[in-house]
Amino acid sequence: MTDDREPRARHPRTISGGSLQEADLPAAPDVAWRAGDRSEAPLAQGLRRLRKSTTALIGAVIVGVLLVVALFADVLAPQSPIASDQTHTFERPSRDYPLGTDQLGRDMLSRVIHGSRISLAVGVSSVLLALFVGVPFGMIAGYYGGRIDSVIMRAMDLILAFPIYLLAIILMVIFAPTAGLIGTIKVTGAIAIVRIPIYARLVRGSVLSIKEKEYIEACRALGVRDPWILMRHVLPNCLAPIIVTTTLGIATSIIVEATLSFLGLGTQPPTPSWGWDLKANVAFIQSNPWISLFPGIAIFVTVLGFNLFGDGLRDALDPRLK
Amino acid sequence: MRSMRLLLGLLLGTGVLLGAAGAAPTEAQTPKRGGTLRVSYGNEIANLDFHTAPGYEMMWVAMNVGCGLVNITPDGKFVGDAAESWQVSPDGLLYTFKLKKNVLFHDGMKVDAAAVKFSIDRLMDPATGSGMRTFYESVNSVEAVDPLTVQIRLKHPYAFMLHMLAGYRTGLIIYSPTATQKFSLDDRKQGKPGAVVGCGPFKLIEWVKGSHLVMDRFEKYFEPGLPYLDRVIIRVIKDPVTEMAAFKNGEVDFIASFSPEHVDTMKAQSPRAQIMTGKETTPMLAAMKVTIPKDGKPMSKDRAPHPIFSDIRVRKAVGCYGIDRKEIVKIAFKGQATPWVGIIPPGTMDTVDVNHLCPYDQAKAKALLAEVGYGPQKPLTFELMTNTEKTVFNVIATVIKEQMARIGVTANIRLVDKVTWMAAANQDGPWDMYVEDLLSLLTLDSNAFLSTTGASWNHTRHLDTKVDDYYARYAREMDPIKRKAIAKEFQEFSADKLYWNAISGSPFYMVAQPWVKGYVYNAEFEVHWDKVWLDK
Amino acid sequence: MRTYLLKRLLQIIPTVLGITFVVFVMMRSIPGDPVVALLGDAYTEENAIKARHDYGLDKPILVQYVIWLGKLVQGDWGTSILSGRPVLKDVMVRLPVTLELIFLSMAVALAIAIPAAIIGALRQNTWADYTATSVAMVGVSIPEFFLGVLLLLAFSIGLGGMLPSSGWVYLPGTCQTVVCAASLWGNTQHVLMPALALGVGRAALLTRLLRASMLEVIRTEYVTTARAKGLSERPVILKHALKNALIPTVTVMGLQVGFLIGGAIVVETLFAMPGLGTFGIDAIIARDYQQVQGFALITAFAFVVINLIVDLTYTFLDPRIRYT
Repeated sequence: MTDDREPRARHPRTISGGSLQEADLPAAPDVAWRAGDRSEAPLAQGLRRLRKSTTALIGAVIVGVLLVVALFADVLAPQSPIASDQTHTFERPSRDYPLGTDQLGRDMLSRVIHGSRISLAVGVSSVLLALFVGVPFGMIAGYYGGRIDSVIMRAMDLILAFPIYLLAIILMVIFAPTAGLIGTIKVTGAIAIVRIPIYARLVRGSVLSIKEKEYIEACRALGVRDPWILMRHVLPNCLAPIIVTTTLGIATSIIVEATLSFLGLGTQPPTPSWGWDLKANVAFIQSNPWISLFPGIAIFVTVLGFNLFGDGLRDALDPRLK
Repeated sequence: MRSMRLLLGLLLGTGVLLGAAGAAPTEAQTPKRGGTLRVSYGNEIANLDFHTAPGYEMMWVAMNVGCGLVNITPDGKFVGDAAESWQVSPDGLLYTFKLKKNVLFHDGMKVDAAAVKFSIDRLMDPATGSGMRTFYESVNSVEAVDPLTVQIRLKHPYAFMLHMLAGYRTGLIIYSPTATQKFSLDDRKQGKPGAVVGCGPFKLIEWVKGSHLVMDRFEKYFEPGLPYLDRVIIRVIKDPVTEMAAFKNGEVDFIASFSPEHVDTMKAQSPRAQIMTGKETTPMLAAMKVTIPKDGKPMSKDRAPHPIFSDIRVRKAVGCYGIDRKEIVKIAFKGQATPWVGIIPPGTMDTVDVNHLCPYDQAKAKALLAEVGYGPQKPLTFELMTNTEKTVFNVIATVIKEQMARIGVTANIRLVDKVTWMAAANQDGPWDMYVEDLLSLLTLDSNAFLSTTGASWNHTRHLDTKVDDYYARYAREMDPIKRKAIAKEFQEFSADKLYWNAISGSPFYMVAQPWVKGYVYNAEFEVHWDKVWLDK
Repeated sequence: MRTYLLKRLLQIIPTVLGITFVVFVMMRSIPGDPVVALLGDAYTEENAIKARHDYGLDKPILVQYVIWLGKLVQGDWGTSILSGRPVLKDVMVRLPVTLELIFLSMAVALAIAIPAAIIGALRQNTWADYTATSVAMVGVSIPEFFLGVLLLLAFSIGLGGMLPSSGWVYLPGTCQTVVCAASLWGNTQHVLMPALALGVGRAALLTRLLRASMLEVIRTEYVTTARAKGLSERPVILKHALKNALIPTVTVMGLQVGFLIGGAIVVETLFAMPGLGTFGIDAIIARDYQQVQGFALITAFAFVVINLIVDLTYTFLDPRIRYT
């Protein structure tokens, strides 16, 4: 904290000014404010604010570009991602192969472009799947407490107490990895199951602290139905950690997918996946660094995009911000 | 046979000695006593019951803690280990070994004829559950004639008795009767102090799985002055990048098994490293399943033909003409292996080059497939299983998949972990083709374990007893010239039938620091650190 | 409170039992069994049948579980089929390594996260904020094994081999083997890269969570109230904002233990460390049932206990949360 002192003296206004201004908002949470007596729906407000945020914009652009790349991979990729060429193995980046070639002489640019499909599909859908299952569980557990809480959370503990790879590995062995779409769904499912309790616990923790607040109690006193309270009042207050966890979770999922693939339990070769390529090529990092670097950069940029977008989203959806 | 091994040995040996930074000066130096050799393994040791445990990692410990009757040199000569001398009766049915007088077990007991008899009897007893038991099939009885003379009587001549005793898996490891009876199997497996009693140059101090194995010089070792080293420490480093870093950093003196695909990097990173290899003795296979259980029960005696590969024409189209072995070697091994069709790899005794029988010929492959009825209307699709133990397997599988596409065949890769593969392969599970390298083969005879009709390792489950006849004739023929002829005939027969489909040899590399002296490379067969010393 | 604690402690038993049972059943549904690994290249059909019988693997699964449980109650964690080693002994040898790794990687994560989050929250949307959060982001978007390899390149292969690439030197007093290296300095050298590789990724998550939650708290009424009361900036942030923002952070840290043990599998394998992570993955790969059970038991237990502590921490951080 001591290092804080000097900069603070230099920029006194930015800090206290900004903070105070926000704190001065008349919008300290209360029932009336929450109940939404505004003309504009919160979502619309959020979208309006989202457009203004630079970080969100950058994030959205990155995510958008990635989606386009994934959708039009067939058109964009200069070559086949799986066709090997024994005369051009381990090529350095050149005009013919902008990102070089791997051990099998496959064009890395094409592999990175096609790899976006698996990585995005698995990364995003596994997290969303987990989110849609985990959040309601966490809300119910935290809000009602008592036996429901115990039962749900013990079940969640049961899943969580498995170290992530152990559970994902065992699940994938049971599911039996296969090629194609079904295989991708299996991987997604295995990763999603592992992530469900993370949301449940996170949301429950937030709900525990929110439900004691006056406005929630007031809602209850006014006879507002529980689902309404949960959706309108509890959920928005849990959004910040949920969004941050989700955007970061996409990164973890991409990495788990990579690890599973490498153990032979995820994407089956020769289907390109960033995770697989990174893990398989990293052993050559001393002699041919680029072949692992490019998939690594792809993962990095993707994660960056989702995080920036998530940040903007968080700010935009936060009803206390204007 | 001797000349063949000699030639081979020269090939192997020169590689080693040149690697050792100039053979002559090394020999001239007087070995220094003392120091610790730090060895790195790529895989964990399974356990330390040398008679039953699997894996090279265990074997290389067994060869240094244990002693046997004879060892084999890189040029195929036999040298006495605990045996001073040996004789074979003219009919080839009686082997008489004279033991050295001064051979002691690590617990101080004498290594005598009774201990040798005890050990061989133990290996042959089904209750021991040793994987070596099949190798002693020809043995009728073992007798201790006097404390220093032991006789092995055979049921029928067995030309490879000495090879087997020296280098099939661990070779014979003599167990101390007293220690073996005193300790339980679990005690030996875990290397409990006092339970693993050998008669080799190093005595086991401690094995902590996942951490280290330590063995110290046995002061009463029968070779005077040996071993030079005070201690050998083995650690497991699975990641090749870490292993290279540890080597570069001088944390490791000796890498017991190094991945061929990183040899170039190793050379660039540590130019003075001694990189040792020889002609491949391990086959890289693309095996095709020939029969399946009729009733669906694995290992059933009731067999039905495999729906795809029971047809020799399909096997030939896919495995013989459809696979471009040169391309695979170029991509997967950077050319550092030999494309090979024969049933035994180029470094194994009595090997014959039969590559001309399977030239890469897409047109021929397509024609054969069309003959069976496969074609654009009825495309052939099969599953190509491989495992994650070595990255080279899935690289090869990927190349094969592409080569199959060229002849209109779809190969779907199924990548599984090692034990899943072992379960499927050994227990007659469902698979069509797999890519794996199996075991290092000292002789054609040692491949019987992997390919006769009755063998558990007959993964393709072929039923052709002609194979068994060939092995039996080969093993019982005492005349090396005639034996060679049988070997040639069999390898041609095998390339024609493709019950066992090789792609290439699978290279084996060891790497040592420049200061490691006196190591004699002999592939996986003989790994001894007794004459190793450190020049630093 | 006391009854709650007692209740929670009693709940540990069914959770741990549940996990070990699920693992027990799941492991047996995986293709291959320990006998396949035990016999390995020496596999023969007759030996396999014999070994399965010897190790009781031919009994029904439930019977096997009851036998395992019966031994466990007597303090016997079983014996590894593959190595013949007592599982509990191996767990105890490896526990200090992984505990230290996890503890230090958490410390690395917090050491980065707390200052970064404070800077980020106080100067939201300034260059300082962006710098702090992007640094955090770089960490999370590099997979542990990749970061580990990069560290190896930098510190073991490069820089004259400053840090050892692999292995372990124990903290004095934690080594339980006959031959072992133990020194504070050696330990520090060995743990540095693994702890960084594992911790940096966690730092990103914690930073961003902490920052987001702090922003939230800063805007709530009671920091405003505290300010209104005339408290100066620093105590406000520290006492109130940070403390309240820590609730979701602590939850996540508790949850991170599972991830850290998962990450430990990757990092320990890369740096060839004799920890629980390698113990676990080796066991799964070799289908070493008893060893997998031991791994599940220790990690489940650690996880449940740590998360009990997390739940209890809530009451400390936010007195309004009460457990009955």
